[in-house]
Amino acid sequence: MITQMQVKGLMFDPYNNAYIVILRDEEQAEMLPIWVGKSEASSISLALENVAPPRPMTHDFMKSYLDAFNAKVISVVITDLNDNTYFAKVHLMYEDSEYAVDSRPSDAIALALRSQAPIFASESVIRKQSSEELDQWLENLKPEDFGKLDS
Amino acid sequence: MEEHAPHSTEPLIELTVNRVVEETHTDTRIVVLTRTDGSAENFTVWVGAPEGESINRALSTDVTPRPMSHDLIKNFGEHLGIKTQRVVLTDVKSSTYYATVHLENRGVVRTIDARPSDAIALALRCQAPIYVSQDVWRRRSGQNLEAWLTRLETKKIGTQEV
Repeated sequence: MITQMQVKGLMFDPYNNAYIVILRDEEQAEMLPIWVGKSEASSISLALENVAPPRPMTHDFMKSYLDAFNAKVISVVITDLNDNTYFAKVHLMYEDSEYAVDSRPSDAIALALRSQAPIFASESVIRKQSSEELDQWLENLKPEDFGKLDS
Repeated sequence: MEEHAPHSTEPLIELTVNRVVEETHTDTRIVVLTRTDGSAENFTVWVGAPEGESINRALSTDVTPRPMSHDLIKNFGEHLGIKTQRVVLTDVKSSTYYATVHLENRGVVRTIDARPSDAIALALRCQAPIYVSQDVWRRRSGQNLEAWLTRLETKKIGTQEV
């Protein structure tokens, strides 16, 4: 079982000096926070805001690479969670064959947003991630912690 | 086989990545490339910190536990059978370099535009040669950077880790 997720936003995590991509399912019942690095966060942010940077970023290059041979991103799936690390797969369609390639979730999400491809999470990932702890963590956040991406 | 730039009969110059130097003031990296024909002159390209680190990782034999963005592109190529034939630094405008990546799959050749950082990071992972056109080589910036680079490196030894 997999659940389709939407990217709800990006937050700055001042304690870990990292960024968190928030994924939610359509019923807003489940939430997946995924910690990503600064450059991956800005790449995801540019795709979310539909901003074309003056020069293509690495994920734009990645998309050009696939486009050059008409390889399509069908979907990306957050497949596993182990020791606080998420794992993902990018599903490609190329000349009538499907390929699944291992990826970090950050790369998978940045590419999915540029390819209008759906993002899914496996049931085990949703089960494993303890949303209780996260809710508490989120409650402690101040409004100022949001929207610090343009640093 | 000699490589030529489009619309030019001048042979391209092959480069190899010598090292990546950290520039902490602007949080950028300087990629130092040298000519494979033994000429002593360097070619330097300023790149962002993450791209510089990606190039650095490709130079070292360290295996990262997780595939980085350029490893993912390489893995796409391995799955789909796309080969990176070569990358070429084709142009420079207002001190900004432009590159092309030449790809091949089952006889179909495609050329895509790229930043030099992405092109170099991918080339190193695919053992593809890196070229610069004679024109771009002549117009390269920072030809007298050697002394400055040496100073920067002496100061920053052992701090490549981010």
